[in-house]
Amino acid sequence: MQTKKRSAILLLTIIMMLSIVLTACGGNNNTAGTNNQAANNGAANGAANAGASDTSEEATIKMLLVGGKPADYDQVFGELNKLVKEKINATVEAEFLDWADWSQKYPLKFAANEDFDIVYTANWAFYNDQSLKGGFLELTEDLLSKYAPQTWANMPKVAWDQAKVGGKLFMVPNNNVEITDKVVLIREDLRKKYNLEPVTSPETYAAYVKAIAANEKGINAFQAKAADGWKWHELDQIMLEQQNEWNLVDYNFPLAYKMDDATGKVFNVYDTPEFKQLLAYYKDLADNNGWSRNVVSNKNDVWQDIKAGKAASYAQNIGTVAANIMEATRENVGIELAIADLTPDKKKISAISTQNGLAIHATSKNVERSLMLIDLLQNDKQIHDLSMYGIAGTHYEAVGEDKYNAGPSAANYSPSGFSAWGWNSALNRQDAAYPKVADDMFNTWTSKVYHFPLETFVFDDSKVKNEVANIGNVMLRYAIPLEYGLIKDLDKGQADLIAQLKSAGIDKVQTELQAQIDAFLAAQK
Amino acid sequence: MNRNGLLGEIRKNRALLLMLAPAVLFFLVFAYVPMAGIVLAFKQYNHTGGVFGSPWNGLDNFRFFFESGNAWLVTRNTALYNIAFIIVNNVLQITVAILLFEVAGKWFRKIAQSVMFLPYFISWVVVGAIAYNLFNYDVGTINSILTTFGMEPIDIYNTPSYWPVILVIVSAWKTLGYGTVMYLAAITSIDTEMYEAAEIDGANIFQRIFKVTIPNLYPTIIILVLLAIGNIFRGDFGMFYNMVGNNGLLFSNTDVIDTFVFRSLTTSNEIGLSAAVGFYQSILGFATIMLANYAVRRYDKDRALF
Repeated sequence: MQTKKRSAILLLTIIMMLSIVLTACGGNNNTAGTNNQAANNGAANGAANAGASDTSEEATIKMLLVGGKPADYDQVFGELNKLVKEKINATVEAEFLDWADWSQKYPLKFAANEDFDIVYTANWAFYNDQSLKGGFLELTEDLLSKYAPQTWANMPKVAWDQAKVGGKLFMVPNNNVEITDKVVLIREDLRKKYNLEPVTSPETYAAYVKAIAANEKGINAFQAKAADGWKWHELDQIMLEQQNEWNLVDYNFPLAYKMDDATGKVFNVYDTPEFKQLLAYYKDLADNNGWSRNVVSNKNDVWQDIKAGKAASYAQNIGTVAANIMEATRENVGIELAIADLTPDKKKISAISTQNGLAIHATSKNVERSLMLIDLLQNDKQIHDLSMYGIAGTHYEAVGEDKYNAGPSAANYSPSGFSAWGWNSALNRQDAAYPKVADDMFNTWTSKVYHFPLETFVFDDSKVKNEVANIGNVMLRYAIPLEYGLIKDLDKGQADLIAQLKSAGIDKVQTELQAQIDAFLAAQK
Repeated sequence: MNRNGLLGEIRKNRALLLMLAPAVLFFLVFAYVPMAGIVLAFKQYNHTGGVFGSPWNGLDNFRFFFESGNAWLVTRNTALYNIAFIIVNNVLQITVAILLFEVAGKWFRKIAQSVMFLPYFISWVVVGAIAYNLFNYDVGTINSILTTFGMEPIDIYNTPSYWPVILVIVSAWKTLGYGTVMYLAAITSIDTEMYEAAEIDGANIFQRIFKVTIPNLYPTIIILVLLAIGNIFRGDFGMFYNMVGNNGLLFSNTDVIDTFVFRSLTTSNEIGLSAAVGFYQSILGFATIMLANYAVRRYDKDRALF
């Protein structure tokens, strides 16, 4: 009896202690939250109201970048800091989120409200998401023209407009022309060996894939990158979008519009005759062992597989593929590679400015100095060269004004290793060893770039986020196996896919998207 | 009866309370304080508001999961897999523990124990890579062996029905050593006089096992199983994600709540939606453990957890 009572009392004490601690914590957090918000607004206002830029007090600017930390970071940023200190009395510290897990860490940095000032962002790196959630500081015309005057002057107006989310600007985009079209990297030596036609269309590509699948044992004619949640067949951007001149609004759901359709009418790409035809094309390749049956479970790096002679083609953007070719030549791997554009005559889409850029953290205490730094990174020749290519003579050798050669320790500070692309600008240099074919291809593309009213449209999914999450799931579960030819009955597979999308709420997303597009187009007139 | 009141109680048991303090502190910091984050399940999260300042949105966050049409499938998969794991793993662990105990050789016992414990330290990422090299259709070890013997290769990654068996085997392989150690410890603490008495009464080895060892293991078994039941609605994410990955063909048989939520929400980063599903799992887990504990109480009061 007595022991029972005693333990009851003990239990009660513990519960009471717990509840006190709990309420205390809750209260604290709450006030912290409000204070933050206040401080936030204060900072923005303060910055906007300040008169001439005051750099008398030394500042440390923390920069958050994606990609691996370069081995010679200390050396290069040491040099960089000497210049930055002299110009704006500040020093830069960069933190790198490695490619392996950056997409998990990136949002956490904001959720935990860590202390950083400048952050890399892009349309593929949470730009819309964090803008809508309030992770970035709004950049006003005032701020920009005062603290980043060179950038403000040099950047085309359309680039600023493209970076607006809901009419507000949260990013200093990079100032560079890029084309997002995908190409295929193929084994030129194997093509010649089997006496195949040059690969310039889906048909010639199919012939290439089948010839290799039939004759080369142990080589996957096509290989997809290790599954990371990408919801499409890796050739879809070429075969579905570029071939048909469609533009998918967001790769998280299968809604697209025709590029030349001025009314911007959206449709479900899975529910089109073009898609049905493409399924037959894919199925034919799959049945001829064009890719491994376990392609969706692949855990290997595609490029490494190609280098090792285990895979014979993959789809990527032209810059990456050109870098692959340079690497193969440099390392002398004994295979001959070529770039194949399967849709050479179609309209090309130029990347919108938000492909790369830098934003200011909403709670940054160094807004002015951060903007000044971005201004220098983009427009100061000396600082731009140093931050992009490392130390002259060590990491790169300048060739004329706009080209460079890799230096002796180029691998320790490489422009392709991390997101230095955030401050791409007209000052960029090109690798002198850049394959001429890639350059020529790019130049012919620029003449075919097609501009259309919806290219800057950004979808705000906050009203349909449940549906978008579920649609993504359906795509992974039904569309990917269907596209890789793992389902025997194509018609039934396609019908299943469409039915599942309907129950996941595609109609609601389509209605919402169409409404936003209509409003966007109406506002442009 | 209690002349000194609460303070007296505390003073009297201060040594015991002090010993309890680290454990209480641990749970306070890592289990109770974070519980406040549950409010996120009912909020539209944004950075300016943070966890407590963001606006409320009622039960909106729960819509995603229940309207997906997958809620029942993944909940069922999670529960069934965990039930299978609990039964298979515990039976195997008890059997192996008894076998090891009955095998006399000290060296053999030590070595066997270490060898069985090793898989416990291998990360799921590595296990996933090993599995890929075993099961791969083109160059996997299993298919290479099959084709050398002139048999048809099997397409494991495209056949959902193999996966429940594979996952149960892998889980058993990975946890065997760990569980065996716990049961072995329980067996060694059984009073040896009981075995001597049984031997004098002429009990053979099977009678010794079934009449002495196993009944003495009941308390340990019940506690371990009860603790496992509390987590029955939490899928082992590391295991399912690394073994199955994003292979859509297998989802009907392998998708558990955790992988489903991860897949749906990694691209959108809606903390509220994931918090809502976590809350749902906790409620179900709480209900099952209360029920299980109640059942044990009915059966034998002393052996219930609380």
